[in-house]
Order: sequence, then C-alpha cells, then structure tokens
Amino acid sequence: MRNISLIFRRVAKSVALVAILSMATLFVQAQDIKEGESLFKADCSACHGVDRAVIGPALKGVSERHDEAWLISWIQNSQALIASGDEAAIKLFEEHNKLMMPAFPTLSEDNIRNILAYVEDASKPAPAAAAGAEGAAGQSAGASGDVSNFMFGGLVVVLIIAFLVILVLNRVIRTLDRIILKSRIDIAEGEEGEDEGGESSGKVFVDKLKKLSRNKKLVFFVVLGIVALLSTAGWNVMWNVGVHEGYQPVQPIKFSHQLHAGVNQIDCQYCHSGAATSKNASIPSLNVCMNCHNHVTASEKYNGEVSPEIQKIYNAIDWDPDTRTYGTDTKPIEWIRIHNLPDLAYFNHSQHVTVAGIECQRCHGPVETMAEVYQYSPLTMKWCIECHKETEVNSKDNAYYDQLIAAHDQLKSGEKITAAVLGGIECGKCHY
Amino acid sequence: MDSNKKYWKGLEELHQTPAFVEKKGSEFIEEIPIENVLNEAGLSTKTPRRDFLKALGFGVGAVTLAACQRTPIHKSVPYIIKPEEVTPGVANYYASSYKGQSLVIKTREGRPIFVEANTKAIFAGNGVSPSTQASVLDLYDMSKLKGPRSGDEGISWDEVDKQVISALNSASAAGKQIRIVSSTINSPSALAAINEFTVKYPTAKLIVVDAVSHSGMIKANELSFGKAVIPQYRFDNADIIVSVGADFLSTWLDGIENTKQYMANRSHTSLKNGKMSRHIQFESGLSLTGTNADVRVTVKPSEEGPLLIALYNELTGSSLPNALNDNQKAVTAIKLVAKELNQLKGKAILVAGSNDANVQSLVNAINVHLGSYGSTIDLDNASNQYKGDDQAFAEFLREANSGLIDVAFFTESNPIYEYYDSKGVENALSKIKFKVSFADRENETASFVNIIAPNSNYLESWGDSEPYVGYYTLVQPTINPVFDSRQFEQSFLIWAGNTTSYHDYVKAYWEQNVLPQGKSWNNALQEGFQFNGSRGGSAQSFTSSVSDLANLIGTQSKAIAKDIELQLYLSGGIGDGKQGNNAYLLELPDPVSKVTWDNYAAIEPKYAESLGIGVNDLIEVKAENGYSIVLPVLIQPGQAAGTISIALGFGRTKAGKAGNDVGKNAYPFVRLVNGSLQFNNSVTISKAAGTYELAQTQTHQTIEGRNIIRETTFANYKNDPTHGSGNTGEKHKTYDLWNKYEQPGHSWVMAIDLNACTGCGACIVACSVENNVPVVGRDEVRRRREMHWIRIDRYYSFEKDNEAVTREGEVNNLSDLSQVTVVHQPMLCQHCDHAPCETVCPVLATVHSSEGLNHMAYNRCFGTRYCANNCPYKVRRFNWFNYWNDSRFDNYLNNEFTQLVLNPDVTSRSRGVMEKCSMCIQRIQGGKLKAKAEKRPIKDGDIQVACAAACPSNAIIFGDRNDPESAVSQALKNERVYYVLEELNVQPGVGYMTKVRNTFEA
Repeated sequence: MRNISLIFRRVAKSVALVAILSMATLFVQAQDIKEGESLFKADCSACHGVDRAVIGPALKGVSERHDEAWLISWIQNSQALIASGDEAAIKLFEEHNKLMMPAFPTLSEDNIRNILAYVEDASKPAPAAAAGAEGAAGQSAGASGDVSNFMFGGLVVVLIIAFLVILVLNRVIRTLDRIILKSRIDIAEGEEGEDEGGESSGKVFVDKLKKLSRNKKLVFFVVLGIVALLSTAGWNVMWNVGVHEGYQPVQPIKFSHQLHAGVNQIDCQYCHSGAATSKNASIPSLNVCMNCHNHVTASEKYNGEVSPEIQKIYNAIDWDPDTRTYGTDTKPIEWIRIHNLPDLAYFNHSQHVTVAGIECQRCHGPVETMAEVYQYSPLTMKWCIECHKETEVNSKDNAYYDQLIAAHDQLKSGEKITAAVLGGIECGKCHY
Repeated sequence: MDSNKKYWKGLEELHQTPAFVEKKGSEFIEEIPIENVLNEAGLSTKTPRRDFLKALGFGVGAVTLAACQRTPIHKSVPYIIKPEEVTPGVANYYASSYKGQSLVIKTREGRPIFVEANTKAIFAGNGVSPSTQASVLDLYDMSKLKGPRSGDEGISWDEVDKQVISALNSASAAGKQIRIVSSTINSPSALAAINEFTVKYPTAKLIVVDAVSHSGMIKANELSFGKAVIPQYRFDNADIIVSVGADFLSTWLDGIENTKQYMANRSHTSLKNGKMSRHIQFESGLSLTGTNADVRVTVKPSEEGPLLIALYNELTGSSLPNALNDNQKAVTAIKLVAKELNQLKGKAILVAGSNDANVQSLVNAINVHLGSYGSTIDLDNASNQYKGDDQAFAEFLREANSGLIDVAFFTESNPIYEYYDSKGVENALSKIKFKVSFADRENETASFVNIIAPNSNYLESWGDSEPYVGYYTLVQPTINPVFDSRQFEQSFLIWAGNTTSYHDYVKAYWEQNVLPQGKSWNNALQEGFQFNGSRGGSAQSFTSSVSDLANLIGTQSKAIAKDIELQLYLSGGIGDGKQGNNAYLLELPDPVSKVTWDNYAAIEPKYAESLGIGVNDLIEVKAENGYSIVLPVLIQPGQAAGTISIALGFGRTKAGKAGNDVGKNAYPFVRLVNGSLQFNNSVTISKAAGTYELAQTQTHQTIEGRNIIRETTFANYKNDPTHGSGNTGEKHKTYDLWNKYEQPGHSWVMAIDLNACTGCGACIVACSVENNVPVVGRDEVRRRREMHWIRIDRYYSFEKDNEAVTREGEVNNLSDLSQVTVVHQPMLCQHCDHAPCETVCPVLATVHSSEGLNHMAYNRCFGTRYCANNCPYKVRRFNWFNYWNDSRFDNYLNNEFTQLVLNPDVTSRSRGVMEKCSMCIQRIQGGKLKAKAEKRPIKDGDIQVACAAACPSNAIIFGDRNDPESAVSQALKNERVYYVLEELNVQPGVGYMTKVRNTFEA
C-alpha cells in the first residue's frame, strides 16, 4: 500500500507543478490585455465603444491614428493638451462638437498602454465572430476567456489523473484478489480435504450468513443501525423542508452579477440602494439600469446589435436606442425572488448593512462570482441565531451604544458584547 | 374614604345577576361542546375505523406532498422609474388635513396607512378623534363607486360633463334655480371654485346644511351680538366649566381642540402645579363629557332651558319666569355653581348643547355676565366648523316642491338619510329635474339622483380648509385616486368653464390670499397649515331682553315635557353616520355603554324597572309625528329618569357591506322648531316582542371587587398628593419566585393619567390600525371575542348623600342610580416583569425581553390559551378565526384592496394564536434603528406608541425608564402613581395615576 500512495503523491506533485506553470504563463500573456479590459470597462466604456461611436468616437484603430505618447497625454488630461495648443488635439476637440473628455490623472502610462493594447486586441476581428449566432456564444465566453481556458485545461488534467488512479487501483485490486484467493485455497485445502476449491468458498459464505442471521443480537444491532440511519436521514430531510439553499431560479433577464459586481466592480449598493436605508435591499428600478445601459449596449459582441438581454431592459422601459427616446409603453420586469423570508420574520437590511457594517457576501455568498445568483445561505433561524451569538456588536463611534455598553459592562465586565448579549436573539426582535 | 369605594363595570356585576354569576368564572361564554364529541354517539359512529384510515392516509399524503414542495415562486417587481422620495420599506410622511385638523399621514410604498395629529399645529395638535384615526380605512372601502354613474350604468367623465352642462344651460335659459346642497364647506379654495360656478350660472346658490347643526347658536350670536358665527372657546382659560348638555370633549364642535384645552388645567402636569379646573355637567344621557365631570347632575331635556333661567336668576339676583324648581338636586347644584361662578368671573365658561336660539341667547347673556368674552370665549376669531343653516335647507325644500329648482348638487350631504323629514326630501327631489350627487358610494340620497359623480377621498385630494378664521390647513394627496373619481371642486371648476387643475387652483389661491410674503407653497405644504389670525377676542355686552327669552324658553320646554323625553346624541365613534361603513368605528365600543355595532335606547335602571323593562328587552319608541322604531334597551345608570337617549348616525341602509342596517335611524325624531333642528322630542315607549342581546364589551372581564381603581378629591390631593393612591404607609415585604433579570439597555414602560383619560377610544382605533387588529363583528363580540389590544374599562361608582357607597348591598338599596361617577381606565398588556403568562406557556411562545417587554412569538404559539387564563389583567386576545380570510367575517378586510390598509411591519396573525399589546415593538425597533444609523442615543419622544400618538389628552406617556430625564420616568415619580394589582407582585410596566375629582367641599 505504501507503494501506491507514494506513486500517487508523486503523480499529484508533478501534475500540480505542470498546472501552476501553465497557469503562470497564461497569466503573464493575459496580463496586459486583461488589465486594459477592466480599466477600459471601468473608465472608458461609458463614452467610448471599440467599434461604435457612443458619446466619444469609436476607438478602433486609435493607435494607428495617433502615436502612443500623444494618446497618453490626451487621456491623462485632454484639456491641458488642447490648452497647450496641440494641433491634433484642437482638431479632435472641434470635430466632436467641443465635447470635453474628462481627465484621468489616476491612470499611469502603463495603464494606458494596457488599455490601448486591449483596444487593439478587441478591434481585431475575433475568429469566432464571423460565425454569427454561434459566434455570439463563443464571444460571451471570451469575455472571461482566459478563465475558461484554464478551467478546461484543469478539467482535462483531472480526468487524466482520475484515469491513472483508476488504472493503478485496478491493478492493486487484481493483485489483492489474487493473493486472497491464493491464501483461501491454501486454508481450505489445509482444513477439509474432500471439499473442492472455488465452489466450496461460495457455500461457506452462504453458511456463514445463515449462521449470522441466527445470531439475534447481531440482527438486532443491524436493524437498530438501519433504523437509526433511516431516522437520521429522515430527520435531516424534515429539517430541510422549506430550506431552499442553492435555489437558483431562471430569471427573466440573464443578468450576471459576475460581470457587474465582479468584473466591473460596481458597488452592490449602487443598484440595491435600499440596503443602506431600508428593510428591503430592493431590486433596482429600470431607471437605475439605464444610468449605464443608456450607453452600454454590448453591441460589440453582437455584430453591432444591442445585446438581446439589454434589449429586454429597453423593451420594458420602452427606450429606442436608435432615436434615443423613451416611449410610454412600459411594463415592469418580474424578477423571481431568491431570498424568501417567511412573513413572520422581520429582517431589516439597513440594521445589518449600515449599523453592523456587515459585508453583503456574509449572507449572500460570493455574488461577484455568480453568473446566475443562487441562495447561498440556508436562511434558517438557526443560521441567524448562530451569527447573532458570535458577531460582536459594531459599536465603534456609535453614540447609540455608549450608554448600553457602559451599563452592560457594569453588569458583566469583560464579556464579549455580541448581538445576542444585547438582546439580539430575543423572539420579539424579529417576530412581531 | 380611602380605597374601600366599590366599582362596577356594569349593572350585571353590581346586581350579581344569575346569568352574570354563572358566566363570570368561565373562560367561554358558551359551553364548549366537548360532551357531544366525547359521548358514546360521538365515538361509536358508523365507520370510525375507515374514517380514521382515511384521515390518516390523507394526513400522510398531505405531509409528504408538503415535504416535497418546490420552492414557491415569489415575484419581485421593481418600479420602472422609482419616484425619488420612495424607498421601498421606508415610510414617508406627508402633512395633510381632515375636517380642518392638520395631520401627518404615514405612507408606505405610496399607500397611506396611518394618520397622526400634526403636533406642531396651532389647533388640535394633540392626537385625533376615533373617526379621524379610522378615516384611513374609508380610502380602502370596497363599497365605493368605481367611477361616475348614470342610473345603473357607468359613464365617462366626459359624458358627465356633457350632461351636467347641458342641464345647467337649459336651467339657466329657463331662469330656473340651481342649488348646491352641502354640509359645511370651510375650504376657501372650494368656496372660490363654487363662487366661479355661481358667477357662470347666476341662479346657482350654495345651501349649507349639517346633519347635526349648530344653527341655533349662530342665530343666537347674531341676535345677541350681531355676529352670525360660532365663537372659539378657550377651556384652557377657564377655572370653572359649566356645561348644560354639551358633549364638548367628544362631539360638540371641535372635541379634540376642546380636550386639549380642557386637559391643560386637569392633567398630571397641571396637578403638579396645584391647579385643577372644576367641571359641572348638567345633562340627560350619560355622555363622555359627563363621565369626566367633577359634578354631574341629571336633568331632562325639557329642564335644560329652565335650568339656565334658574342659573341666570341665581347669578344676577333677578327673577325671570319659568325657572327650574322641581328638580331638587339641580336646584341645589345651581345655587352652589352660581356662587362659585360669581367668584370666578372672567375665569368661567358656560356652554350648552342646545340648538335653540333662545337657549343659546340666554347662555350668551350669562357668559356676558360672567365676563367670559375676551377670556374664555373669543367671538372675534370665529370657528368655521359648522355653518349649516337649517332654515336655508327648509327653504330649499319649499322651493323644490314648488318646482322652482331644476338642478341640484349634493356635496357631502345625504339628506334622505340625515334629514328628519326623509319623505319630504324624497318628494322635493322628485320635483327637481336634474340631480347630481358627489357621494363616493350609492348612498341613500345618491340612489335618487340622475348622476353620481364620485368625489375623491381626502387622502386622494388637493384642498384646504379654514376651520377657524385665519387658520388655514392644506389637504395634500398621498395616493393617486384609486378609482375613477374626481374631486367635486374640480367638477365645479370644469362646469364653470375653468380648466385649471384643482391643484393649481389651490396653489394660486394660497399664493394670492393665504401665504405671507416670503413663504413658499412648498413650505406651506411641508408644514401643513398657516396661521394668519389672532386669538383673544374682545368683551361683549348683552342688550336683548332676557325676560322675553325666558318666556319663549318656557313655552319650548313645555312642548316636550310630556310622556317620555327623548334625547338624541352623537356617539363618539360613528358620529353623524357619514363614516357609517367604517368597521373600525362600528366595533369601537361606545365610551360609556361599551356597546358595539348598534344603537339602543338608554334608560335609567329604576325607571326601567318601574316600566317593567329589563336587559335584552326590545322597546318600540314612537314619536308624535308617528315615526317609530324598535330598539334594544340599555340599562344605563346616570341617565335622567323619565328620559331615554338614542344615538344618531346608525341605521344606514345604503352605507356599504359593514354598515348597512346596523342599528336604527333616529334622525326622524329630530324636530324643526323656529327654523332650527332640535335634537330632542317627546315619545311614548311600549315593550316590543322578542329580545335582543347587545354586543357589549363591558362585562366581559370581571374584577371581583379588587382594588384596581384609585381616586381622590382635589381637596385631599392638595393636602396629600399620595392620597387615595395607596402609596402611603409601609409596603408589604415581597418575595420573588424568579431571579432578577437586569434591563441594562432600555426599559420600556408607560404611565397612564386616569385624570386625563376621557375614554374617547382614539387609542383603540389607533392600535387596531397600527397593529392590524381585526374587526370581528357583532356576533363574535357577544361571545367576548373582540380583538382589541387596548380597551378602556369604564367603572361606575355611586354616591349617596355625598358619601361613597362602599358595600354591594347598599347599592341595591339606592333609590337613585342617576348619581353615578365614572372612571375610565385604559387597560392593555402591562408587560409585567414577573409575567404570569410567561411561566405557563408550554412552548415558550411568550417570553420576556431584556428591554422589559413581554414578547409574543405568534408562530411559536399553538393556542393552549393558558397564558390568557393566567393573565390577571385579561388583556390577551385569542384568534378564533382567520378574520381577514374567512367568508363568515365579511366585514371589510376580505379583499385584496382593503388589505392594503394593513401595516406591512406587523404580521397578520392567523387562526389559533394568542395576541396582545406589543407596545408597538415595530415602532420601538424602528426608532432604535434610526438612532443607531444616525449614531446617536435615543432621545425621549423619538419613539411614540400608536395609542399615545392618538391620545388627544396626553393621558398615555410612553418611554424609557432607564432614561431618568424621560417624560415617563418623571411621570412615574408622581405621588399619584399606583400599579394595578400591585399586590400580586407581577411587577407591571404600566403605572396609573389616581383619578382626582374637584368636587365641592361639602
């Protein structure tokens, strides 16, 4: 057995090494363009498209139109460049109706080079793009292309390892079988000469079972064990009635938190603005979506057409992206609620977000990685209470708690002041 | 007279009637049919085994199915474009007003759910009346019309406008009259709009008529002083208040403002300063104001006038004829009162409820003599709240009958129901060619008109009002019109050819006429009111002949001094019946009789006995004009012998699902005498067949003679503030069964001033609205299943020759039960620190919090009701049904629309669980959260419970006991504070202050 584990360990080590190496190289290659992409999306995409004029001009081929040094100084502070009397800059300014481009002093030269690298990369006709509808799917995968590539590679490696392990184990089993069979035959031959090898071993086994079934104590314990097992399983099932952990309904719009909160780093409360002030975090109204999607249409991935998912927003709010006007034929979007607390429980987001300063992810899980949101926490009362028992009250700089803590310290000094200690697990705090 | 005075909740308890004795100990008023189930017949039915298996199979199947449930799909639909000021889950507050009272309306996600008084307002800034509190339910009334109607058909507003304008034009062309019949309109913008209308159609005229009018008083002021107005009263300036039949703390003029002023000299803060006014009430039926009086003397309606003559004689030493002389008690009282009044000139006030111009003129004469004008009565800054002119309406009927009127409009006026001569109105209406009603439902009058153009609810409307001269309040909508309704002011504007929206119209009016320089419309909207007037008024002199008045009063008095005298009054809840379909008001127990869902004939016990009438009897009340109704009898101590009292406002036939055929209509008993409506009559009564059980809440819980009401007199209080409170002497040593738990953070407690509580019941309605307390209906109230979390217990006690009656037997020997005194005691969960309910709950559904509250976890409760049995205060209420989703309780809430009135922060309890006052824990939690988010400690007054917010007399003080500066901590330090059933050592969290009565020192 030691041999096998040794072999396995060695294989695992080498696989890991290969994996790390390949990942590292992948990252190095992707570095420039990836960083450029995220910067582009954060700072530029509100006004610029790659293939399409939004507010500012399309950026395709921008590196050919201007040299890099000029571009860097333009991006960092376009007004300064214009003021300095740069002809190209003034011309550009005039061409675009004297629309000012905000200065980006925070972007370093390297940052800007990365952005330009991304723009160049993105303006190359992607190989799959030509293939129409199929290409669209490929494209959207391409948004997180490096990640997927790596994952795919990883999967292959895992499969190979699994195959190897199975091979090794098979061999081990076969060897063991042979050894056991051999020793059994030896024993059988030694004890009873008249019985014959293969057949007798089966009969002995049946006999043994019969003998065991007559052993009342054993039967009792086996039955007891089964009953205990079933009841535990039943108990667990019953406890989880109405617990919808992992609930992941299909939403009317394929909205990706991974893209918005993860890649684009949009703050949770930008959209879920109620979380800070209200009991409801609230799903953003469509006018909030339109703050960005007024311009962001993702058309670069759909052959210049508006993304079909973004189009759903436009349909709902009756916005015509071509004429850039709102109509009156609006209809609300009926999202499917994922986190359902029963009516008997009162929960207030602002208490947890604003007062306690708890990260959204603590209850909602890594939303920024969820392409489709699912219920991360069980939302059971036990789960609430456990957290209330452990979490210390965020009383720092909050005058509300001063008197409470002082009074409490008088009673039981030194004890950790958790939510529970201040009454956070009393019935009436959530049930009324 | 320490605390051995005896109190009774009702006469059943006082007399220990067999039925009462039998029922008082049992939890259920009816036998629970256990025997039927457990007897042999129940168990040996035909196929118990198969039924059992069926039930078992179904049960297992159902459980399995339930266990296999998929996650239920809940849709979450955000706004398309979110209004900037709305955050889902956070309430918004808007200043508005109702009946001239400036209010703050709480809205959630755009729907109004609670109204509170605007505490910054100049007038009536302390709480609201029950009807105002309940008005939010009127918005969500399913009985309202969904749009304009012509006959039985729905029509469009364009069609309405077309028909109305053509009718108006043809009437104008033919020179026929156009009339707008309305109850008092004191909205300056509405009057301006109507004025535009009358300019366009010169034959149009506004007729103002109030169901319960004060036109006699207006006429009297015109005769006496040349000012046809109702003055402003200043009870806060009065050291002695004499009321003759005026229920001024409840339904007479501005009850809320009156209560605020009245309590300025009577509440615990005033007592602390050693000051208390004296209030003497002469009346027939026991009114809410009468229960609060220091001295109350019963007089018949016909004696009110002669009594005032006697008072005048006594005060001035003159000898007018027709003075009262046969009611010995009243005559003695008048002597005492007159002496006191003459000593307190300039600090006295006399009010009378009569609508007779002669009586009111005499009252004016007395008030002039007392120097009240300029001090306690302000005639210069008049009240605009009741401008109804009875004579004008009689004239309208005459004109209609002679065919002079072609078009008539009815605004907030329902004469077929509320005018005494209903048939006469019907006949007159049939002669009018084209009639339009602005009623929001097809009410009694609206079913006689050509077009119903439904008016919007005040919560959907723009508007204003001027309840007192110079005091303007704004009405601001808090929701879009739910149905296809239109404000009547807008309609008049459109018909007058003015296409301005009424919002712009009000705004323009305010900017031109109301707002002072530098104040913007938006400022005014935010504040809700504007005061440009002044207060004070000047002294007046009286020059008319008082002896003429005395003669006229004498004749009047003799006209009704026949048979049995009937007094008609307004109940504090349902009022004149305009809110007749409001289930909250219908189930609000009458402040005195504790009757819900009915009106009745109140009659004095001994007098009833002499007539052979008893509890649950029905009597037929018949007036001289032939009108008769059959009513249940209420045996009412404190009623004047020889009289009966009947509440107006009941007996609507077309109010809606909840209010139809509740009680009987008593308006036809009203008389029109000398051009003003008289709310008394002479009737005969006879016993009718059958019995009728009134749904009373009064004897539902018993007190078993325990010492839970404590009172004293002002004289004793001045000597010893603790007098009567039981706070003197050494206390018992107490032993605790339980460990002491600290309440280091907050400790929420309440103090209730029994001297301030008038018993109006605004708190009950406020609690119901805030906490989604269901209305259960008449039958369930009879079974003692009303759900109110707070009730006001009314205790009677009797006196004989100025001595308190202390023994039960003695009371039975009293010949006169009219001399009754009353204490109102709000009773709610006391949040005992050693709560007996908590120890008996088998599932820990009710437990104590570290903030001193007794929590109730509804979803833990499985309904053993042990807690209710063990509660010494009987404040726990059990849900026998799903009242909001059960066709048997189809009062109001069984539809999705009306359910919008529910407070989303409070669970709607389901069948089978116990509930009780939570001290508005949702408000406590909300207030704490607000403080935490703003990183500041809680200030006293940040958190206000619903009942305290609604209380017009500040009788309920809520707050944190751990904050030594809080109002409640200060109040609980008061010497008058005692705890109900303190001897049980349950350590209640609600302290009561003794009732103090400023009686005459004998």
